[in-house]
Amino acid sequence: MIHADDLVITGLGLVLPCGDGLGAAQASLASGRPCFADLAAVLGQGRGAACTAFDPTGIIPPMQLRRLDRPSRFAWGAAHQAFRDAALDPRPLGEGIAVAVGTLTGGSEASEAFMRPYLQRGPEGASPLLFPNSVANAASGHLALAFGLKGPSATFVDRENATFGALDQAVRWLRAGLAEVALVIGTDGLFPLLLDLCRGARLLARQGDPEVGSGRGFLPGEGAQAFVLETRAHATARGARPRATLRALACRSTPDPAEDERHSALAGAVAALGPASLDRRIGGGNGLSRLDALEARLGSSHPGWPAAVHPKRLWGEFGGAGGQLLAAALLEPAGRVLVTAPASSGAQFAALLEGVRL
Amino acid sequence: MSRPPHRVVVTGLGLVSSLALDREGTWSAMLEGRDGLGPLTRLALPLEPAQIAGQVAMDPDRHRTLCECMALRALEEALDGFRPDGPPDRFGVFQGAGTSGLPVAEAYLEERLAGRRGRAAEPAFQSPSTVTDALARRLGATGPRGTIMNACSSSLLALGQAWERLAAGELDLAVGGGAEGLCRTTYAGFSCLKAVDPQKCRPFSRDRAGLNLGEGAVQILLEPLDRAQARGAWIYAEVLGYGASMDAHHPTAPHPEGEGAARAMAMALRTGGLAPADVDLVSAHGTATPANDGAECQAIRRALGTAADSVSVTSTKSQFGHTLGVAGAFGAAAAILALRDQAVSPTLRLEAADPACDLDCTALVAKQRVLRAALVNAFAFGGNNVSLALRRWEGR
Repeated sequence: MIHADDLVITGLGLVLPCGDGLGAAQASLASGRPCFADLAAVLGQGRGAACTAFDPTGIIPPMQLRRLDRPSRFAWGAAHQAFRDAALDPRPLGEGIAVAVGTLTGGSEASEAFMRPYLQRGPEGASPLLFPNSVANAASGHLALAFGLKGPSATFVDRENATFGALDQAVRWLRAGLAEVALVIGTDGLFPLLLDLCRGARLLARQGDPEVGSGRGFLPGEGAQAFVLETRAHATARGARPRATLRALACRSTPDPAEDERHSALAGAVAALGPASLDRRIGGGNGLSRLDALEARLGSSHPGWPAAVHPKRLWGEFGGAGGQLLAAALLEPAGRVLVTAPASSGAQFAALLEGVRL
Repeated sequence: MSRPPHRVVVTGLGLVSSLALDREGTWSAMLEGRDGLGPLTRLALPLEPAQIAGQVAMDPDRHRTLCECMALRALEEALDGFRPDGPPDRFGVFQGAGTSGLPVAEAYLEERLAGRRGRAAEPAFQSPSTVTDALARRLGATGPRGTIMNACSSSLLALGQAWERLAAGELDLAVGGGAEGLCRTTYAGFSCLKAVDPQKCRPFSRDRAGLNLGEGAVQILLEPLDRAQARGAWIYAEVLGYGASMDAHHPTAPHPEGEGAARAMAMALRTGGLAPADVDLVSAHGTATPANDGAECQAIRRALGTAADSVSVTSTKSQFGHTLGVAGAFGAAAAILALRDQAVSPTLRLEAADPACDLDCTALVAKQRVLRAALVNAFAFGGNNVSLALRRWEGR
């Protein structure tokens, strides 16, 4: 449990299926229209929310672009926006900037692309250009090179809310004085084997768009969200304007992945935050009953809360490993926003943001 | 930086390695100079030039991956019959992963390429956090969990995470470490990068030609000192702190002068409250690749200055091969046992040292010496560097 009212978010960058940047995301949330469509064959067979409008021109040099996997491209684009939004030139700070990444799919796209020809043709089919991206922390390495970031770095891969684990770590580094600024990133990219596996495991909605509470399944998405996090004192000293205060962050886990146990863990995380009243609530419902049920039970036990907005209904599962939930919390002015990030097992996270402004 | 409020000690250590399936068997074999590298039989890769691996004498079972099996076995040894009591939300599990469930994905992809349906495995079965969850189930832990995939520095960073939370007083007990199994993707990947030595690897040697791959698991039980003493636990060593940095130099190659690695070590000294002259041992990353070992020795000199001349350096890669995600935890295990027994395990096959590796790299035979504090290094793709600071437990 971290009470962190001295920490503020001063920069936000978004690469989402609805488009790049805050304007596209705000319009998408306001319209409530899902971004799912038939996917290009290179991404997999079926429907999903792909970042078709992502345009790295002028941001990622063409030579580098060819060497990057999708999660790294998206992360680069989002980080570029976030640093600009925070009015922060990262290079002079270098060693003072930490990077914490959450991802569910990082490294997997490159692993598949590397192994497909290897399994078909043997060693002569293996490309040395692909293998370096087969690690989940490829994105953080590319970001370090792109922006001259030299502080601590960690990449978390804990299921649907890995980016909350990254946020937790970033808070610790800032608190310990091991970094002056932290770049927190959620990033994921679609690839064929991912869809194939999810379809085989009957996790995907087979008809229509996902509906929270339907139990029909989710649809996959991709994208990246970048958050510049720093102490209020650091932000004030450099004249930065906070988008929000990270008031508190809590996590509870359960040894048993059964719904009741996970619900207790999520409810415990929320209770630890102690939100007396809320202006907005962002949830992690995605159309799959294992997550939706937790959100529904949480809502029904707090009838006074506002109805939850579930961004995964619009932008898909995977697309930032929970980062999309944090991003949605920052897209509308509010006094106090609760973000709940349930996961299919492991840790359940909740975060409380205050003083959100555009 | 002020010291955190709680001292943290190692009270349990479990090892599953290619030398033995337990801690003391592995450690005594290391001190005797035996290596765990042998013919690769787990994977059929006849076209690969390297047919050597540090292979563990265990297999996956029907419901668990090899990583899960090895991790659970190592945890049992670390617990050594101890049944943790107290609030379960104050028990945490932190794991580093490299490949984890990748063999499952490889098998599925192979089936699909052959036109077969494949086992529609739950994607979660391949998730690296599956091991973290399995360990938490065994412990009954409901506190924080973390699964880090920072390639080859993953498990050392996971130990740092565990230390951080215990030192802050947020937890009463934490398990840190990792598990890694051999798989085709890493074999093929390092091979096509020309980073694999078809012979047994030779860290710090003039003629070193690359790494060998290995597998295994390490689980380390960490507790606040006061709780460990209150229950009369055996204390192996004290964890003092850690450092982490990025090179911002190259996607796969280390900084040639070890600039980022030196900063990680300096940060570990700082968080650990150590002076360079306090350090007697560096359990090195020491992969035996031409790029790593010279740069790491330069980094040690940068971080320790003239004190580097009196440290012992050793590489566990010469015994186990490069165990990727769990390599850092293997290095930590070797340092913890070295501090306990005041003995440095040798770097095998170090016949002629590279002039660029002009430190005492503990060639060929183990060395008895006074060891007060140790640094453990793990470096990774993406220019990720981690260093952990440990101190001998002297009863106070």
